[in-house]
Amino acid sequence: MELVPISIAAISALLSVVATYLAVRSRDMMSAVVFSAIQSTAYALIYYVLMAPDIVLVYVPVSVGILPAVTILLIKKTERYEK
Amino acid sequence: MSDPVSLLFTVLILSLVVNIGISLYGVFTRPSLVKKFISLTIFSDTLNSFAIALGFRRVVEGYPSIAVLASIPEDVSELAVVANTAVDPVPQALVLTAIVIGLAVYMFLAGLIVMYYRHYRTTHVRPAGGGSIE
Repeated sequence: MELVPISIAAISALLSVVATYLAVRSRDMMSAVVFSAIQSTAYALIYYVLMAPDIVLVYVPVSVGILPAVTILLIKKTERYEK
Repeated sequence: MSDPVSLLFTVLILSLVVNIGISLYGVFTRPSLVKKFISLTIFSDTLNSFAIALGFRRVVEGYPSIAVLASIPEDVSELAVVANTAVDPVPQALVLTAIVIGLAVYMFLAGLIVMYYRHYRTTHVRPAGGGSIE
């Protein structure tokens, strides 16, 4: 009964580990932003399974919408590739 | 540990611990300030996830519910049902506040990084200490 939601949470936690590793390792900042957004989506799924839908309603616009937009603006103003 | 739900919950918590390690590695060793910024957002999100996982609990039968009264209760026993099956709402309120305050802090950091780039013509951290990029 409670096995299915917890397995969804565990699988999205493993996905977020992969996305975090790729976001930290990639030299292109744009792909790092995209991997960071994937990690945020996995965290939103975890929050929904852990019975916090109000956090999901705030976290998805902030962390999948505004923060990548601000970071992309930051990359446009500075430099794209890490030396 | 033979319980599969406990095993999956352990996998979740261990993945969050690994995420903390990877994002701190990014903050400490990557030279670009933008990469440090992205790693810092991941780190703070992971700490918020720990707070949410702290408020979660397993009830005896079924799945826990949200700590919300859907209707005005007729008597006290309905309150007891919610109190016995709902998750803890206090960490959720704290995380809600932390996300909004964190957004303001990240805006400020983004402005500082733009100012750094205009001064040093790079986002590498070494020129701030007087060194040069090799």
